[in-house]
Amino acid sequence: MPSSCPECGSSNVVEDDLYSQRQWVCVDCGSVVSEGHLTTTVSDETQGRAVPYHASTEVLKKPCRNLIAGFSRVRALCRILRLSSDMESAVVSLFERAYNHPNFIFVTLTKKEILGGCCVLSVCRQCNWPVAMGTIGYLLGVDNATLGTVYREFTKVLNIEISTIGIMDMLESFCYDFKLGPQQVEEVFAEPAQRLVDRTSALIELAADAWIVTGRQPLPLLFAAVYLAWQSLNPTVRMKYTFVKFCKIGQAPKQSWHRSRDSVVKRLKELRDVLCKLGRELPWLRGGAVEPNTVVPLVDDILKNRRALLMRAVRNHEQQLQNESQTAQTTECDDELSDSNRSDSHSSKTPELMDPDQAGCENPPDKEATDCQLPPNHWSKRHLFLPPCVKSRKRRRVDAPQLEVTGDEEISDGEIESYIRSQDEIETYLKVRKELKNKA
Amino acid sequence: MEQNNSLPPFPQGLASPQGAMTPGLPIFSPMMPYGTGLTPQPVQNTNSLSLLEEQQRHGMVGGSGQTPQLYHSQVSTTTALPGNTPLYNTPLTPMTPVTPATPASESSGIVPQLQNIVSTVNLGCKLDLKTIALRARNAEYNPKRFAAVIMRIREPRTTALIFSSGKMVCTGAKSEEQSRLAARKYARVVQKLGFPAKFLDFKIQNMVGSCDVKFPIRLEGLVLTHQQFSSYEPELFPGLIYRMIKPRIVLLIFVSGKVVLTGAKVRGEIYEAFENIYPILKGFRKTT
Repeated sequence: MPSSCPECGSSNVVEDDLYSQRQWVCVDCGSVVSEGHLTTTVSDETQGRAVPYHASTEVLKKPCRNLIAGFSRVRALCRILRLSSDMESAVVSLFERAYNHPNFIFVTLTKKEILGGCCVLSVCRQCNWPVAMGTIGYLLGVDNATLGTVYREFTKVLNIEISTIGIMDMLESFCYDFKLGPQQVEEVFAEPAQRLVDRTSALIELAADAWIVTGRQPLPLLFAAVYLAWQSLNPTVRMKYTFVKFCKIGQAPKQSWHRSRDSVVKRLKELRDVLCKLGRELPWLRGGAVEPNTVVPLVDDILKNRRALLMRAVRNHEQQLQNESQTAQTTECDDELSDSNRSDSHSSKTPELMDPDQAGCENPPDKEATDCQLPPNHWSKRHLFLPPCVKSRKRRRVDAPQLEVTGDEEISDGEIESYIRSQDEIETYLKVRKELKNKA
Repeated sequence: MEQNNSLPPFPQGLASPQGAMTPGLPIFSPMMPYGTGLTPQPVQNTNSLSLLEEQQRHGMVGGSGQTPQLYHSQVSTTTALPGNTPLYNTPLTPMTPVTPATPASESSGIVPQLQNIVSTVNLGCKLDLKTIALRARNAEYNPKRFAAVIMRIREPRTTALIFSSGKMVCTGAKSEEQSRLAARKYARVVQKLGFPAKFLDFKIQNMVGSCDVKFPIRLEGLVLTHQQFSSYEPELFPGLIYRMIKPRIVLLIFVSGKVVLTGAKVRGEIYEAFENIYPILKGFRKTT
């Protein structure tokens, strides 16, 4: 900053703000002492700060860069899921609303991406377009739990009504995603999509009746059902192909099934067990053994007659229970049971899977329930089909004995003293802490 | 009280005496004319003359303006019959539309067990958490992680969060009395450590109960019929979250038949909520 004017020698030199160019002007004689650059260099421009919106004369606020990036990401998601243009515009406007909401404007960019996914999910639900959270999750690369927390906050904050989507709604689009057309795969693997849908929906209905569906993640179950359906439509050739091989044949994207592989295996086992239970009731097998490994060729017959087979299986199970109780209990128990059987036979048209009125009797454990630790008279032993979480309890719940207190009892000093350190303890503790701090 | 003998038809001159017919549990159909013998009516004095006397004694004239007291909750709002001193205590079903419709039935016979009580109390003085953590055996204090001392006692088995303002949260007790006793013990420990602790404003903030209805439940069916109260997202959580409005309790209902009830301030709310939900769950017991 120049201090004296070369013309008149005065030291009264001030910076002039009048022009867009910085100038130092002498107040006394008016001459320009020095001036700055009229234009900026590239380095100045990149280093200089942009004028913020609130200091400019801008009338409309331009959307921030992240919002624009979010729009393009959300549109891409809509295109992948093949949503209509109406739905796409609904998603975009919902995303803008959510993005600018005070709860979400300052969150991390990852969370903003997930927010975009939540908008897509919400609009799909509203328009009854079946999309699973797991699908959005694998497209965004996040797990269900993270997606779930953002989704819950999003619906709460924006007051969006959530409608539940059922597994059957997701079924058709799920099956169509597998590339099993005659042009895409070999003849032996090819399957018209509609046939696959029909067979899979029959399997899912059977699974629902047998309590495998409720409370579980739908996607692993869908995978398991599609795989079993595909196998059962041509068992002689397809039996030897594993689930992973099937996904490769059908070109299912690896991220969609890879994480839930273990669940798919478990659901497969459960489905096969249910099919075995029903397969045993097929009259033309004449009581022959039906094993989970070999039940797939029978699936066609089982599904065709599933209602009748369910009724037979349940009735035989009831019969078995009744026989056991008759041998174990007194005649009083027999009377109760025969009453309940009579009332059961009146309503025998609907498949009766629950029998709430039978007396609790001892029952030899089922073949699969080898690792359950249920008490002998547990209510679950009366039913043939039950949610697996009831039959296989992971750990025995131990109820602590209840304390009978009034809340106003005397509190003994001794008990309280036991919670307080003695002076020696405190000194030892302080010494040890000091030594540890010195060592560290 | 519940004998449903058909009544002799009333003489035409009498006003419909439904006012005096309220003791017990009348189940009237409002569409049916009274006294036709088709609607079950609770047995009163079969002598119509004594009925008239009774009516006059109770000071009631004509029943046209009165709505019959309905026990079945699905029909319409009930009003207490004016000017009637009932011979027996008639149960009045709360008719708020936010209670799920409860048909007249006996109780479920299942009592939810309390699993956790959260309570707060004000010790009434500022506390030095470092001193407490140093001098108490059962305390942990990590200011970088959480700004309170976590203290535990063995009997009743509970955990307390003690803040420097003197406020304390006590969790883990299985009954209100146990929670109060535990909070008093913590206060006594703090007292013995040299602080002038008092025991002010003890309040139960939350109670959690659980029970088992002993049959599997079709959650998909329940969420369809009780959409406005339920939220069922199997991809996020295996249970159905049912937000009951009266009483204001949140229930977690699982397919195995286990139900968790939370959000109660008093024990009765948990019992009431369970009695409300049990008939609904029974409706989803069988496969359709």
